[in-house]
Amino acid sequence: MTVRTVSGDAQQILLASELIRLGARLQLLESETTLSRERLLKLYKELRGVSPPKGMLPFSTDWFISWQPNIHASVFLGIYRYLLDHARLSGIDAVLKAYRLYLEQMPPEPSEQPVLSLTRAWTLIRFFDNRMLSVQRCDICHGQFISHAFQPRCGTRCGLCHPPARAGKRKRIDKTAEVDYSISSGSNW
Amino acid sequence: MTTPELMSSIRDTNLAYLILAQQMVRQDRATAIYRLGISVELADLIDTLSPAQIVRLASSNLMLVRLRFDETIAGLLSNLSKDRSLIQAHASILFAAQPCEPMAPLNDMSS
Repeated sequence: MTVRTVSGDAQQILLASELIRLGARLQLLESETTLSRERLLKLYKELRGVSPPKGMLPFSTDWFISWQPNIHASVFLGIYRYLLDHARLSGIDAVLKAYRLYLEQMPPEPSEQPVLSLTRAWTLIRFFDNRMLSVQRCDICHGQFISHAFQPRCGTRCGLCHPPARAGKRKRIDKTAEVDYSISSGSNW
Repeated sequence: MTTPELMSSIRDTNLAYLILAQQMVRQDRATAIYRLGISVELADLIDTLSPAQIVRLASSNLMLVRLRFDETIAGLLSNLSKDRSLIQAHASILFAAQPCEPMAPLNDMSS
């Protein structure tokens, strides 16, 4: 670890606070900041009033493939890669900026959590960097969508050009407002 | 709309765009680069423009800003039968996949 300075420490605490406010889990904080586990735990409790959730992070790449998560994750990944390519950002800064922009593009309903949590977004980047996930270009709109790595390429159509039959049907029957993509059964964490 | 009125509207739009773009770049460079779809070099240049330079640049009778989409994307995005939030998602994915193009007239101004 690098030499610790007070100002460096302060920066790390600010970064950790920002991550916690956006919903980061402890594993993310431990890997992206230089603060000790004890200090992170204390900070987390101070900011959220509860202990961080325990247990492992989900390690399956399948969540990113189902319809609604795929769209949200593809929006985030597109922004992230744009920032990397064009804005000279890298590392956790790029993840943070991209996540804020994602929330702006796909704002959650007032009482709901965002479909893609910050921890999931961070996991996505790790999956992507480790080549467990990749992107494919839709033949119709030419947008880049997340897919399993090493998937054969033949006639790719994205979930937006060709939504599955049941996509977004649930809430329309309920006659609730206009936002209605609700096919995913995956819970947020 | 008469031609002089049209020209004056174009100049107004140019000016409004440049003022907003400079504000965005100064507030948060990386975010502005994404939102505006411009390159780092262009963002740096916009940052350094003085008010007088902005006015001079905006006074062109041609539009300084170009649309960010082609006819395929425009067709997809103006589809009224689709859900608005899905269109927003689609737009965001398609914009992110596009290269950012420099605006030509700015290069002449930088000297």
